[in-house]
Amino acid sequence: MEYILKNGIVYDPTNNVNGDKKDVMIKDGKIVDNVSSDAKVLDVTDKLVMAAGVDVHSHIAGPKLCLGRLYRPEDSRAGVVAKTDITRAETGFSIPSCSATGYRYSRMGYGTVTEAAVPPLEAKHTHEEIMAIPNIDVSPLALFGNNWFVLQFVKENDLEGLAAFVSSWLKISRCYGMKVVNPCGSEAWGWGQNVHGIDDPAPYWGVTGGEVVRALTKVNEMLGLPHSMHVHPNDLGHPGNYPTTIATLDVVKDIEKNPNVLRDQTIHCTHLQFHSYGGTSWRDAKSGAEPVADYINKNKHVTCDVGQVTFDETTTMTADAPMEYDLYKLTGLKWANKDIELETASGLIPVIYSPKSPVSTLQWAIGLELFLLIKDPWQVVLTTDSPNAGPFIRYPRIISWLMSSDRRTEMIENKEVHNWASKRTSLPTLDRVYDWNDIAITTRSAPAKILGLEKRGHLGIGANADVAVYDIEPENFDATKASNAAVVEDVLTRAAYTIKDGEVVVKDGKIVKIVPSRHMWTNVTGFEQQEKKVLEDIMPMFNRYYTVKFENYKVFDHYIDPAIEFTIDASK
Amino acid sequence: MKTITLTLKKFSSIALEFEELIPDTVYNWNKEDFENYQVPVGNSRFPLTNYFDIEVEGDAEGPEDVKMILEGDMGRVKYIGYRMTDGEIIVNGDADLQAGAEMIGGSLKINGNAESYVGREMRGGNIEVMGNVKEYCGTSYIGEWRGMSGGVIKVHGNAGKQLADCMSGGEIYIGGNCDILAGIHMTKGYIEIGGDVTRWPGGQMKNGTIVIKGKLSYLLEGFDPEGVFVDPEVDGKQLAGKYIKYKGDVGVNGKGSLWLDAEKNRNLL
Amino acid sequence: MVYEEPVTDYDHIVENCTCAFCGSNCDDLDYLVKGNHVVAVRHACRLGASKIMEDEDQRLKVPMMRDENGELQEVDWDTALDAAAELIANAVRPLFYGWSETSIECMKKGLELTEYVGAVIDNQATICHGPTVQAVQNVGYPLMSLGEVKNRADMVVYTGSNPMNAHPRHLARYSVFPRGWFRQRGRFDRTLVTWDPKFSDTAKMSDIWVPFEENGDYAFCNAIRAVLKGKELKEDVISGIPKQDIIDLTEAMKNVEFGALFFGLGLTHTLSKQRNIDIAIGLVQDLNAYTKWVLLPMRGHFNVNGFNIFMAYQMGFPYGVDFCRGYPRYMIGETTTVDLLNREEPDVFMVIAADPGAHFPGGANMHLANIPVIQIDIHWGPSTELADIVLPGTFIGVETAGTSYRMDSVPIHMKSAINPPETCREDEWIVNELYERVKKIKEEAK
Repeated sequence: MEYILKNGIVYDPTNNVNGDKKDVMIKDGKIVDNVSSDAKVLDVTDKLVMAAGVDVHSHIAGPKLCLGRLYRPEDSRAGVVAKTDITRAETGFSIPSCSATGYRYSRMGYGTVTEAAVPPLEAKHTHEEIMAIPNIDVSPLALFGNNWFVLQFVKENDLEGLAAFVSSWLKISRCYGMKVVNPCGSEAWGWGQNVHGIDDPAPYWGVTGGEVVRALTKVNEMLGLPHSMHVHPNDLGHPGNYPTTIATLDVVKDIEKNPNVLRDQTIHCTHLQFHSYGGTSWRDAKSGAEPVADYINKNKHVTCDVGQVTFDETTTMTADAPMEYDLYKLTGLKWANKDIELETASGLIPVIYSPKSPVSTLQWAIGLELFLLIKDPWQVVLTTDSPNAGPFIRYPRIISWLMSSDRRTEMIENKEVHNWASKRTSLPTLDRVYDWNDIAITTRSAPAKILGLEKRGHLGIGANADVAVYDIEPENFDATKASNAAVVEDVLTRAAYTIKDGEVVVKDGKIVKIVPSRHMWTNVTGFEQQEKKVLEDIMPMFNRYYTVKFENYKVFDHYIDPAIEFTIDASK
Repeated sequence: MKTITLTLKKFSSIALEFEELIPDTVYNWNKEDFENYQVPVGNSRFPLTNYFDIEVEGDAEGPEDVKMILEGDMGRVKYIGYRMTDGEIIVNGDADLQAGAEMIGGSLKINGNAESYVGREMRGGNIEVMGNVKEYCGTSYIGEWRGMSGGVIKVHGNAGKQLADCMSGGEIYIGGNCDILAGIHMTKGYIEIGGDVTRWPGGQMKNGTIVIKGKLSYLLEGFDPEGVFVDPEVDGKQLAGKYIKYKGDVGVNGKGSLWLDAEKNRNLL
Repeated sequence: MVYEEPVTDYDHIVENCTCAFCGSNCDDLDYLVKGNHVVAVRHACRLGASKIMEDEDQRLKVPMMRDENGELQEVDWDTALDAAAELIANAVRPLFYGWSETSIECMKKGLELTEYVGAVIDNQATICHGPTVQAVQNVGYPLMSLGEVKNRADMVVYTGSNPMNAHPRHLARYSVFPRGWFRQRGRFDRTLVTWDPKFSDTAKMSDIWVPFEENGDYAFCNAIRAVLKGKELKEDVISGIPKQDIIDLTEAMKNVEFGALFFGLGLTHTLSKQRNIDIAIGLVQDLNAYTKWVLLPMRGHFNVNGFNIFMAYQMGFPYGVDFCRGYPRYMIGETTTVDLLNREEPDVFMVIAADPGAHFPGGANMHLANIPVIQIDIHWGPSTELADIVLPGTFIGVETAGTSYRMDSVPIHMKSAINPPETCREDEWIVNELYERVKKIKEEAK
């Protein structure tokens, strides 16, 4: 099928197209510079055209999502939509069912989403859910930060072994890259404890979070994985945690980037908002966004996503299980926990972010501060750490806040939000606004580049034909006006067209076609000998301490159909 | 004033779902509208006239002017008065599941027994049941920690298990006896039980008030006695006689109050 | 017990097969195969081994329908499938029950069919750990994978369950006996506790047995929670347990390094049902303020948890989901199987990989006797006596591969070791075939 999207206003920052009126041509699922006369013309005159969105960090598939759905029927009930001739029934608000997840991302014009936390033991479950999610390709990241084999390799300072382990485990779990969550802290949670800061060792192992992050980052560059180290630092959500965050970023500063990768960074810090707190307790908590943003402004080896609070009742879920128990002690709401042998922990709890609450408002303001204080939009990506700071369906609302400082001022001055926004943060003084080009960077181009995805997040020749068209005329619309914020939100929530691999999947905000999501995974080659040796070395420990057989541990091919394999030559 | 009378002529063992037939939606319907209406039954819809004789008298400006009378055994008619905001519904017979669930205002009277989930997540209005209710009367939705938040439920007969789970407001009066775990997980509101209670009222309650005028068979360890009071005033209501007051449930640091008639529960004095 | 000579007469061994019996899903079984039969099983418990090996006994091998005399007669597949599809397509309140002993792959087709016709879909949780799921929904769910217990636990409590009889390898493979990373001496490094009115085989081998009285579970847990909050107990004996024993037990539980509580239907089905679990979860949550504690329900069938997981990720609700209005609805007592049958609502009942005839209350089965019942299963059982159409499936984990979820939600791909009987069809194929045929009937009627 061939298409021409005619006369749209195109924002394609990767290719320096900044609001030009031009056609976008599509053939065989790719962006091309020429189509035949059979091409179907879609008239998008003066409408906003961008590459489809790319989400660098979200929680959409896998065991803890499922646990959330299982134990929050009241959340499932909140998003019930009946089936149609094309779509299946939807449920869920903060933790949508699999089909709802696909439809909702697709309706917002997104095409690629990263599932940010996969425990390898239950990777089959994650892939089963990805099979049930339509219309978006998914890049899952496997958890390594508290894995016993990793701790062992780090303890023995065996980087070669660690690299072979990582490359082998990515194959086994069919994951795209590496994720570290509260390194050593989730292992400490095995005993009901936590670690504090990057120099506090895990009980028994004697290894610190800083050492784990450093070793895994080295390995990441050694192998040349498409995505960098993706880290959720220690001390999430604790007032006074920003020095830990900066220390985590700084501990890998001297590690050289692999020359063969597309990305610029060696470390991606996720949901930075939760890691940018000053003060010593919730009583005197204040923003730590300025020093953190300042560090990022001075250091190109770092990228981040924000984890913007959206003022919703949502569900928090993270492999940072001790933090979830802390939250349970604070709120008393129903707490779930799921520890995974030899690998990780995780916890869940419902949370209500209220604009009347000082803490929620502080978190909201810190997120916006980070967006506005980090100067280079290629270093800061829009996320809500969905569903942790809010469900992903709120991205358009966040965009409306970024595009209008008037709207932000209005919220503060009309007391729509608690006065901590002005008393404890610098948000009222920040009048920077994002334009459409900045929005295209923070929602598509930058996340694609950070993930190392060459063919996504832009509309250059040869790119995947993942395109979003929105029913708004950028040239005749003032997004900086406070009164237009609701329009921005509404329009971006329901794309005029979402095109996935050259097929129209959304038209006028409605799903018109279902395509299977592809499982993106990284296959490291050229490391086979080392992998073989490492497997032999660790097999006695595996057999003795896991409760499944190694043969049944791995993710078989039929769980990743259809797949996109990213082959990396590690010998290069 | 508009009076709508639906008289059952054919009982369906597959339940009819009545959430669309509340004063808010039908106040401007005439007889023909009812005759054209298809009621959900299982995975289908069938003409309401298959099951009911329909009479409509008078006119209404809004739901507040509507009186709906359901004549006959409504033991397979679910969701009577679901989410109604105003007007009046009278059931002359038994009512099925979810009568008055998520009710916001108006009144619902059942001149018979009612199945489970009467007044689930009720926010306002009045429900009166002349007979018994089964489990989960005045409860929350499963998983939801915010339950019934307003309105009044009055049951003249007995109540089943787990009355008012997670109650967070409103008032419930049970004339007869009550089964186990009334007011479990409650955080606010007032429950008064006229008859006897089997076991464990107020399990894991954080706050709110439960008054038991009959005999309680088993009290939980999580309740601490706070003394005996004569003719106490409880939540603005004057109780007559001697009552033992307890505070609990200690297990969840609860500050709820449980009042037991002292005469009927002399063993606890 | 009679000594049996080891089986030496076999063609080949299929290693690391997964047991299709209980929720322990032991995935270390070796099947000894001769001439397309499993002649011996290594590593399995007696329950698992007997299911896997003696399966030919009473096997359903051909499609059957009842004739005018009410006798089941063999028919061809097309006749049986068309008749079943016709029943489903014309039903107003169809109910599809079972699923706990088949694969996730089959459930996928089943859910599509359910959604398409607007049926109720439910599994055995509705009569077993349903109350557990409700409690989890009320108060939370601090759980773990079984290896956490193996590697860390120094106290293991079983309550309302007797794994020595029902999950025979649970203690040996996961919880008590194995040597773990931090528990190198295995059993000697752990305290085993059983709370149970019965002196069960598990209680017999425990270090501590707490025989609270029947229906005393809720008050017992409530007392422990009160002690944890520093309260002095009023009564001398609570739920049949002396006050001091409760205080000592509470102290012991506070002072372990890692405790695990496993509970079974003995807890979910006494008087206060889900509230027993509710308060037990609360207790484990409280204990985490002192040390590490986790809990896990002892699930019965090998994929009963799988169905709940599958439904949760597909449709947001774990079991008893009603699609009659085009969207999923989950309401205990209203959309759950036994309640619907007691109310005589369903007009067509399909049972797959389950035996309601053996497990349902009489009232529910009486209604099943009055309505058309379609059975998909591998064995003749009480439900076959109720069935009007019988569709013989295949044995997951022995004849057909598929995905299951262990009691702790670890996903396992169960491989196949032998070929199914030629006259049988895979469950997934049968359900998909029904779906296609129902679609055809419905499309033609439009």
